[in-house]
Amino acid sequence: MSMDQCHSTVGELPVVRPRAAKHAQVGVTGKAYWRSVEDLADTPDFRDWLEREFPGGASRLLDSSRRTFMKLMGASLALAGAATLPGCRRPDHKIMSYSRDVPEEIIPGKSLFFATSLHLPGGSVEGVLVETHEGRPVKIEGNPLHATNNGKSSHWAQASILGLYDPDRLKDPIFASEGPATPRSWDDVKAWSKRHFAKFAANQGEGLAFIVDKKRSPSRDAARGMIFGRYPNASWVAYDPIQNDAAIEATIASFGKAMREVLHLENADVIVAFDRDFIGDDPDRVRNQRGFAAKRRVLDTTSGMSRLYAVESNYSLTGCKADHRWAVAPSAIGAWVVALAQEIGKQKAGSMPKPVADLVDAMPAIRGVAVDSAAVRAMAADLLGAGPGKSLVLAGPTQPAAVHALCIAINQALGNVSLALRASGAFTVRYREMGGDEAASSVQLGKLAANMKAGKVDTLVCIGVNPVYDAPGSTDFAAAFAKVPHRLTASVENSETIDASTWKLSMAHTLESWGDSEAIDGTLAPIQPMIAPLFGGKSDVEVLLIVADAPVTDGYEFVRGVWRKRLGETGFEKAWRRALHNGVFDEAAAPTDATGAAAAAAALPKFDAAKSATLLAPMKDRVPYTPDGGKMDVVFAVGMPGDGRFANHGWLQELPDPLTKIVWDNVALISPATAEKYGLKREAATAKKRKARMVTLSVAGQKMTLPAWEMAGIPDNTVIVQVGYGRTVCGLVGNGVGFNAFGLSGNGEPDTVGGINRRFAAGGTLERATEGDRWYPISSTQMHGSMEGRAIVREVDLAAWNKFGGKPSYKDTDHYGQPRELKFAERLGELVDSPAMVSAYVNPQRNEKAPHNPAVSEMNELGETPDFAFGHQWGMSIDLTTCTGCSACTIACQAENNIPIVGKIEVNKGREMSWIRVDRYFSGPNSGGVDPEGVMFQPVACVHCENAPCEVVCPVNATVHGPEGINYMAYNRCIGTRYCANNCPYKVRRFNFFQWGTKRYQGEYVGRESLKEIGIDGPANHNLIPARLREELNEIQKLQQNPDVTVRARGVMEKCSYCIQRINESRIEMKLRNMKSIPDGFFQTACQQACPSDAIVFGNIRDAGSRVSKLRDHQRSYLLLGFLNTRPRTTYMAAIRNPNPSLVDSARKNLWDHPFEHGGHGPDDGHDHDHGGGGHGEPQKHGLLGYDPSKSFDDRGYRMSLAVLSGSAGGHA
Amino acid sequence: MSAIHPDQIMAERLAGTMSAEPRRPMNPETFDGTVIDDPSVRPDLVLGNRSFGEVTNIVCGYTEQKPGSWWLPVFCLTSSIAGLTGLMVLYLAITGVGVWGLNNRVGWAWDITNFVFWIGIGHAGTLISAILCLLKQKWRTSINRAAEAMTIFAVICAATYPGIHVGRMWMAWMMFPIPNANKIWPNFTSPLLWDLFAVSTYGTVSLLFWYMGMIPDFATLRDRAVMRMKRDPNQPPMLPILSVKADQMRAYIYGFLSLGWRFSSRHWQHYEKAYLILAGISTPLVLSVHSIVSFDFATSVLPGWHATIFPPYFVAGAIFGGFAMVLLLMIPARELYPNMKDLITVRHIENMAKITLLTGSMVGFAYAMEFFIAWYSGSDYEKDVFVFSRLMPPFLAETFGFHRHAPYWWAYWAMIFCNVVSPQLYWFKRFRTSAFWVFVVSVLITIGMWFERFVIIVTSLHQAFLPGHWGMFFPTPVDILTFVGTIGVFTTLFLLFLRFLPAFAMSEIKNVLPQASPHHHGHGHGGDAAGGHAPAAHHQGGH
Repeated sequence: MSMDQCHSTVGELPVVRPRAAKHAQVGVTGKAYWRSVEDLADTPDFRDWLEREFPGGASRLLDSSRRTFMKLMGASLALAGAATLPGCRRPDHKIMSYSRDVPEEIIPGKSLFFATSLHLPGGSVEGVLVETHEGRPVKIEGNPLHATNNGKSSHWAQASILGLYDPDRLKDPIFASEGPATPRSWDDVKAWSKRHFAKFAANQGEGLAFIVDKKRSPSRDAARGMIFGRYPNASWVAYDPIQNDAAIEATIASFGKAMREVLHLENADVIVAFDRDFIGDDPDRVRNQRGFAAKRRVLDTTSGMSRLYAVESNYSLTGCKADHRWAVAPSAIGAWVVALAQEIGKQKAGSMPKPVADLVDAMPAIRGVAVDSAAVRAMAADLLGAGPGKSLVLAGPTQPAAVHALCIAINQALGNVSLALRASGAFTVRYREMGGDEAASSVQLGKLAANMKAGKVDTLVCIGVNPVYDAPGSTDFAAAFAKVPHRLTASVENSETIDASTWKLSMAHTLESWGDSEAIDGTLAPIQPMIAPLFGGKSDVEVLLIVADAPVTDGYEFVRGVWRKRLGETGFEKAWRRALHNGVFDEAAAPTDATGAAAAAAALPKFDAAKSATLLAPMKDRVPYTPDGGKMDVVFAVGMPGDGRFANHGWLQELPDPLTKIVWDNVALISPATAEKYGLKREAATAKKRKARMVTLSVAGQKMTLPAWEMAGIPDNTVIVQVGYGRTVCGLVGNGVGFNAFGLSGNGEPDTVGGINRRFAAGGTLERATEGDRWYPISSTQMHGSMEGRAIVREVDLAAWNKFGGKPSYKDTDHYGQPRELKFAERLGELVDSPAMVSAYVNPQRNEKAPHNPAVSEMNELGETPDFAFGHQWGMSIDLTTCTGCSACTIACQAENNIPIVGKIEVNKGREMSWIRVDRYFSGPNSGGVDPEGVMFQPVACVHCENAPCEVVCPVNATVHGPEGINYMAYNRCIGTRYCANNCPYKVRRFNFFQWGTKRYQGEYVGRESLKEIGIDGPANHNLIPARLREELNEIQKLQQNPDVTVRARGVMEKCSYCIQRINESRIEMKLRNMKSIPDGFFQTACQQACPSDAIVFGNIRDAGSRVSKLRDHQRSYLLLGFLNTRPRTTYMAAIRNPNPSLVDSARKNLWDHPFEHGGHGPDDGHDHDHGGGGHGEPQKHGLLGYDPSKSFDDRGYRMSLAVLSGSAGGHA
Repeated sequence: MSAIHPDQIMAERLAGTMSAEPRRPMNPETFDGTVIDDPSVRPDLVLGNRSFGEVTNIVCGYTEQKPGSWWLPVFCLTSSIAGLTGLMVLYLAITGVGVWGLNNRVGWAWDITNFVFWIGIGHAGTLISAILCLLKQKWRTSINRAAEAMTIFAVICAATYPGIHVGRMWMAWMMFPIPNANKIWPNFTSPLLWDLFAVSTYGTVSLLFWYMGMIPDFATLRDRAVMRMKRDPNQPPMLPILSVKADQMRAYIYGFLSLGWRFSSRHWQHYEKAYLILAGISTPLVLSVHSIVSFDFATSVLPGWHATIFPPYFVAGAIFGGFAMVLLLMIPARELYPNMKDLITVRHIENMAKITLLTGSMVGFAYAMEFFIAWYSGSDYEKDVFVFSRLMPPFLAETFGFHRHAPYWWAYWAMIFCNVVSPQLYWFKRFRTSAFWVFVVSVLITIGMWFERFVIIVTSLHQAFLPGHWGMFFPTPVDILTFVGTIGVFTTLFLLFLRFLPAFAMSEIKNVLPQASPHHHGHGHGGDAAGGHAPAAHHQGGH
């Protein structure tokens, strides 16, 4: 695994690459055999390909016994599935053992990686590598060669493997029109469709409609072409429930064409985000995070970093990373943008396109909206000061098209926009033309629904969408859907739309099908199957081909055909194979030869200021709606389960929301003042702290009831609701989780200055639910948001870092008279006051020169020395500046390490199993109602202490230290005293309170029927049923589990192992290659590998040249709770913020000169402290026991000052 | 020999028809004549001017005569409660530790709280039987047997928890230092392992001590059964279908248990030596067991646990709680068996109350010291635990303007009230000599000592170092019923003890009777014929 995984990081890989490529071809034959061997074998393409690829084996492949690996695996897997699902597959394929004809690529026990790509909610595309074990995909990782991912991936990509092994997936096509719903075969489907669609071929497709998911896929476009070729008048709606119509509209106005925005944040020195969460819920977030992190990764004191301003309604990840953030109701944000435009125009006359400038100048100050003029002045000055192509102004999906258009105009005026096909030159935002499906407005869905209602639609084909669940409430889609006589729906997972359809077609998962994708930045990537369809489904393209009655209905052949046309006949096979291997199509192969490129460049749209101004005009006439006492702004945010399609993916349901840390629910987020006003305050009392009041939220006649949850940092009179919850038909995991908010979102009727779109609704009303006026239990993994003044996340302003960070380590002596050196970040917190030489080990990190303790440096029976001066010494560094809190690491870890989900009730008890969690802390004064000044994220996994407190207390030696500095957990030895967890200062140990590992979540159990009869079903905690009575994991689910990692039994403690399985695999590879040590970057841990901003770095800390060593020695590094002398192997790098000096008060500025004011350690801070016993700059104490009641956050007897972060406590010195 | 057969006198005196002749006029201010303010006067330890024979009859009477009508209903109740523990442990074993309210923040809660609680209870028994024996405290004689029994039963209850609280209880044997093929030994640095050794040693020695002390009394019971059989060979059988007679059973079982004791001087000589040796062995155990239990916490890094004061503080607390439990058992027993009041006098109660006051004050001092050290350490983590995990109630937090309060403040204040405030009543003689008030305070102390362990364990764990991973513990019904069940186990075992075993050390009580004193010239001691088997050495003085 490690080898394949790391082709990104290790330069050349002579062995594995061809292997993977070959295997991909083998996969083709296997798949083809399994489906329709006669068809495939007889095509000239196939023969041609065979002869070229396997000249020797071609004849053998053509004879009756085509024993290729994928065939065998496909058959055996299908039969494995059939074993548990009798009747769903005829056992018509023989199972062959590995004893004969094993493809040479296959080394049992060794994983292989294949490239493919995934379409994800919101139109995002990620290129991925899929780890397969003996033909079975188990883990998704980012493709290093894909421009979007660059080896990283989002939590959605990581979790989508669960969709493949979802036991509640559709298994067979089901016909439910006449008589009882019965499973049919695909031949039945084909026969029926040939018969049925003949009439549309005759009438040009009148009465035929399609709803498909919005995605960028050349082969889907080609299939659409075939559909329109046969049914020219059919209506075709491409639809995405969380799309951003306003942005499309704005580009049409500004450029004359629908364009998509590609952000190049790696060029941006100053960013202003108006309700735009480009880190959290942007389709291109993986790329954005990387670009953003590139400008924020502060490694020296001279290069500086970017500055981010956020004006936003939701507390988004972007807002958390912002250097300045203002919580503003979404309807009032437009006024800020206008004010900014006016200010830019004022400060640099003539830089705004003339018509826009005229219009903006003419706009009156918008009434009722208090714009912080100082802030706007500072932003404008900063934007202009950054220079052309170095700044960026962004509008988010809640904003109307006019605001988007204005932001485009500002960017144009600042010289940030590029319309070139290729990324080159200085710019921060690039616009690319959208495809037809992509540019579709969600208005079309409303129109189609009206037609359906009017009986004008005879046959509706839904592919990959779930409109019955996620269509706007105003379209009344479910009723309209029921009026259509023939409803064909193809879907991977079960859905509300499937439930209401006449033909329920089981679609193949992306990992089972052929296809292609175009990422936001234009990267083209193939989609290839990792496994034969588990349940024999068809891909979306194949379904379309069946509907179009195309001559070729095989996905593989069709996709190849599309690309043969696109890439050209010459050298096609080579290019195709390279694309399958690399996971991307070569840019050179795209139709951009010299003339084509020139033509394309000539045809590029131009920014049209006058047209852009037309969108702005209504803003002048109409005062933007601002929420007042009775009305609320409603923002539709995207939750962890995406647009709802991942609702049955337990990992995502149990992934805490980054800000609220709520799992398994969506809530109406409101500000504390609003909660007060509506009587929705949560009780401070502990027992009810985790319970919320139910509220009824109404928008334009549509209503929903959901729990209200107050959070500081949300503007008043604004409700944030996450969509994607409240599925009713999706499977045992997701059914009934949360509340469906799609009904409230609008159908995208254009409204230039607000109104209702898919992500925003004005004029909502909120009231406490009369019916069900009760406390609703909420499960949250983190209830406490304050660091309580502890030096846990250390953060300073850039000015302080620039002044002090470059100085050499500060030297002094500790309490015991031992010399020590302190780094910048160490001086910000509690000091390590333990004697230098008490450890049994020689610590390479502390340059200890004393002789080894002979008692421990003797070899043990295994021939190892416990001395850390040998071999590899593993360590990790986590950069808190670049960590965005996106939680991709948590999911990656869950996938890699077979971590079970436990459910809402168990999380509420505090039993979540995630090995790496992301702690969230608010900074600033904690008095009620005051917005936090900042949010900090800190991923915490086992830090692998050299002096591990867990190890000494385990009575059975189940957790012990390894020679490479890893804290091992021997599951077989553990008896589950939980003493280690109690003694772990980082609380990273996870206990299997029940048999979660092998029991099915929410599955059946003996006696469930009887319990149902007495009314116990659902709310009861099914974990309380004895393990023996609970249903075992489905065979299909078991396929997902990583064979390299033990599945833990109940009663066993578990925790982060630093991905020991990956280390060991790399070690084997190292030995096979006769290398002396594992080179830096040879492999990555799962969390490191997923982290889109590359905040996690892992490696050998004994290797002075390794990245992790350098980061560990960096002045920004500190040890979490280092004063305990646990000597963690994971170090954290202090976060740096870059506030605008003109926007911070003098107290905060004062701390730039005295960052250690409260630490009081060292000569530079100008304080003369006694360094002798105990006198480590005791901070000024207030009130009882040294606590200052008024400064609960920032002065609590710790040595660093959170005041540095919050800037609010300058007065204590 | 008088005309009246001694047995007849005894029978009348036991029946109350013949009043015991008081040796000294009762002073109404001294309650029952045993509590005397004049230090020069040594009051009687046994009331009612009992003879050796009477003492024998009283003590043996508990096992030989049918108990009052209360016994069976109470026994049924307590044993059903005890059965709950069995059910709960069964459910726990087949389902998982998750049936308790524990979580990843709070890894121990009621399980270890109950373990430490029960182990602490056991301390009074060993203290009374060992330390007070070595210190020649004569008043220990009438309570030591029951206190030792209580120790054994408390250790049984306590030992349940470490066994069942582990996640894989079927693998708990891996704690034992058993040589195995992989040469994996237990981790001898783990305080949990020290616990295992300490508790099992303590249980074993206490059991030996208890059993050895009972041997002469078993022999007495055996002999009495044999004599009755000889006198009356036509006893009815125990049950109509069972031909065995009750005295046959007694003779057989007590005969087996008395290991051939024949009251010979040599036996007594060995017995006394062995008793002293066991007392010597037990004495350090009194201090070591709870010190080692406290190491579970003191050796950890957790603020609130990591405290050097824990060993003495735990020992004092254990003695404190143990004496409260002795009182809690003996006061109702005195009421249920009226003639027990002659053996367990108000003076006994008062003495125990005094010890309770002393140890309670030590515990209170320790509580105060914890705060001082938390402040003195300069560690914010320590201070935070004591102020915001234990002390701070919501109203105080509001007054001082803190944004948070200690979620378990009520547990902390319950502990302070029960353990520090309530024993202060004992400064007043009126309260410490009143069985009612001593009972009430003992109940409070027992509750308080449970809360002390809960406070130490749960409040330190639930808000530890990283606020991002703070949580709460709420007990489940299984938690509660398991604990209630152990109370049932404890009381059931104690009832059985009162019913079937010699609840008082007869020979030792006779030792402290005035008649046993060589300088005693008062009334003669009857009961020679009735089987008063006092040690020979003491017999001589009386004649």
